[in-house]
Amino acid sequence: MKNKKGLGSLLLSMVVCGSLLSACGSNSNTSAKNSGNDNAKVAEIVFALPSFNRIPDDLSKVTNAINAITTKKIGVKVDFRLYGPADYAQKVNLALQSGEKMDIFTTLGQFSNYVSKSQVAPLEKLLPQYGKEMTAILDKDFGPDILKTTTMDGHIYGIPVNKGMALPTNIIYNADMMADAGVSADTIQSVEDLPAVFAAVKKKSPDVVPFGPINVNPTDTGLVNLMKGASKVDYLTDTTGVGVVIGDNGKVVNFYESDVFKNGVKMMRDWYNAGYLQKDTATTTVNAMEMVSSGRGFSFLGGYSGMEVGKTLSAQAGKKMETKRIAPFYFDTSAVNAVTWMVSSTSKETEASVKFLNLLYTDTDLINTILYGVEGEDYLKVDEHHVKFPEGKDANTVPYTAMLSSGIVGSESLQYQFEGINWSDIELKLKENKDTERSPYFGFIFDQSPVKTQMSAVNNVVSQFLPALVSGSVDPETIIPKFNSALKDAGAGAIIDSKQEQLDKWLAAQK
Amino acid sequence: MTAKAKSKPLKKTLPLLILAAPGLLYFIINSYFPMFGVFIAFKDVNYAKGIFGSDWIGLKNFTFLFQTSDAWIMTRNTLLYNLVFIALGTIVSIIIAILMSELLNKMYSKFFMTGLILPNLISMIVLSLLVFAFLNADSGFVNHSILRPLGLPEINWYSEPKYWPYLLVLIQIWKTAGYGSIVYFASIAGIDKSIYESAKIDGAGKLKQIRMITLPLLKPTVIVLVLMSMGRIFNSDFGLFYQVPMNSGALFSTTQTIDTYVYRALMQLNDIGMSAAAGLYQSLVGFALVLTVNTIVKKVNPENALF
Repeated sequence: MKNKKGLGSLLLSMVVCGSLLSACGSNSNTSAKNSGNDNAKVAEIVFALPSFNRIPDDLSKVTNAINAITTKKIGVKVDFRLYGPADYAQKVNLALQSGEKMDIFTTLGQFSNYVSKSQVAPLEKLLPQYGKEMTAILDKDFGPDILKTTTMDGHIYGIPVNKGMALPTNIIYNADMMADAGVSADTIQSVEDLPAVFAAVKKKSPDVVPFGPINVNPTDTGLVNLMKGASKVDYLTDTTGVGVVIGDNGKVVNFYESDVFKNGVKMMRDWYNAGYLQKDTATTTVNAMEMVSSGRGFSFLGGYSGMEVGKTLSAQAGKKMETKRIAPFYFDTSAVNAVTWMVSSTSKETEASVKFLNLLYTDTDLINTILYGVEGEDYLKVDEHHVKFPEGKDANTVPYTAMLSSGIVGSESLQYQFEGINWSDIELKLKENKDTERSPYFGFIFDQSPVKTQMSAVNNVVSQFLPALVSGSVDPETIIPKFNSALKDAGAGAIIDSKQEQLDKWLAAQK
Repeated sequence: MTAKAKSKPLKKTLPLLILAAPGLLYFIINSYFPMFGVFIAFKDVNYAKGIFGSDWIGLKNFTFLFQTSDAWIMTRNTLLYNLVFIALGTIVSIIIAILMSELLNKMYSKFFMTGLILPNLISMIVLSLLVFAFLNADSGFVNHSILRPLGLPEINWYSEPKYWPYLLVLIQIWKTAGYGSIVYFASIAGIDKSIYESAKIDGAGKLKQIRMITLPLLKPTVIVLVLMSMGRIFNSDFGLFYQVPMNSGALFSTTQTIDTYVYRALMQLNDIGMSAAAGLYQSLVGFALVLTVNTIVKKVNPENALF
């Protein structure tokens, strides 16, 4: 009996402790609803933007500036929400799932998932009336086929952001190191020319790692994008790579069984064996850009539009960076709909939302207020196309800026550029939008819902094997067959079949 | 005991009830209300139709857990790791608690206790970087400062699965044993000192006292704590199994648990039906295990059973 009593009090004390602890974690739900103004005539919408800059504590000034534009032009009041990239998807999903008001948001996952779960509203009926200007500028900057990438079963579910979408693979390198090693950039024409450069750099400075991954955790060396562009691989909108079409034969295959993949990985393996990559590239937490800034890295592969990116990267790294294109880009659907603005299916203000989207793509004032804040306080105008920060301020000290979201907001051709960026580069990007080759399956969107069990298993297998393969850390001769048999095990066959069936149907509908 | 409690006047139990109220409220709001949501595990969630209007799809959401040969690996890993954590964790915690209670100098005992609890306050992310500083292939402490000077072959820790069962157990015990010892320490402090005194008069040494008095009297506490951890045997510390091995694919055979599998599988799909299914599955297995273990305890020693 004595023991029992002891247990009872132990349990009770745990309950009490639990309640004390829980008190610490429950105070953050009070400040969600502000700026609620009950005006019957003005429609009110919630607009959520991801920002890669510091999130300011007080958004009221910029919200007021946005509202001054929108209430005057379209009679819509905007509740402007700004979330960091890590928070964004979570906050938006939470709002969508809990039924909180959330009208306009962007994809930070796969477009088709939102559609197959009916999270987004079809817009095709509203666009001709409220989105005329927007469709016009999209046609002008990209081409009339852009909305194909967000059309499923005849419904338009979103508007892709309007910017330079072609991201040809570049080799980005430290120009000073290259000159030191006595190599000229002109010798680089394709990826085959790189090992000679790496060898020269390594010989000159043995401590430098010649090549690194552009992204880490999971490690991505840019190899897959290089192969996609160079060999015309269409991933058919999902990211796994088990169902792709190479070229234009219309046959869905497992990319990891193809010779393109084998050869690419073999090349990376050779680089790795020659010591051009770090031993722990597959699991490292330091990406190539950080290596370059610290003076220990030389180069990496990445997809960049335009020709001016070297300047931006130089400023970031504090080194003289130059870029050289080594492979073209290839437009498949997900290259274009990766960032797409959508209207929630639970929105009660779809009309107002489309009106706002229309403005978001066509109104110079609105676009730049969202990106740079209030003129005079957050930025100063230099000339027609360029801005700078006020005297003595930078991106971290101005009251508001979301300038790093420039790839997400509206039309790039209407955005102000930061002082020092060559305006002709914007024109070049738009020209490349039109010139870049489109996949014959451009516009096809794979609906994953029939095979989501298999997809979930395949995602796991890919995350197990791919980072090690694309970084050359394992022997492709033995690992690729293992990888493929694990994929088969996980149901890759079913995904390929389902994709082929949907693709055939889509092709038939196109005729 | 319940009969006795009922006969007590409300006036006497009221202070206790008030004391328990915040905790009970917490459990009702955070544990019991959300339980109504389990039906989502059997639905194909469609936002336009709403949660209640979505189609019932039976057990389809559960199939992804058993889709591949990984199902066996992750279940095995989750179960074995947790069993080892529970067994070894309990033993080490008790040893620490006994050692602490034998320390006569209060200053020392407080100092060591604080030191032992400290690892528990370190977040897994920070811990994963600490581990990385030790194991990193090029400049890690183990390779760079131990193996290399000794002329031993260096080990690429993040691509050799065979070391990780030991590493993970070591890390987990290091992190949690000190904190886990608090309850045992408190129980030992509650043991009547006169028992030890009479044992001493009878000629029992320190070891004998521990074996014959401390350990038997700790038994009920051990049983409660083990029973409670049994309920979470199908869950794993996500940080320990995802962050600490640096999400390295090569290590999946020894680091994949149900939680990391679900995370990797559903990151792209964002399907709440399937994640609800995974959670329900883990809870059901944990619930069944608690019941089973409790029944066994009841059979062997009814005094110590939880309910």
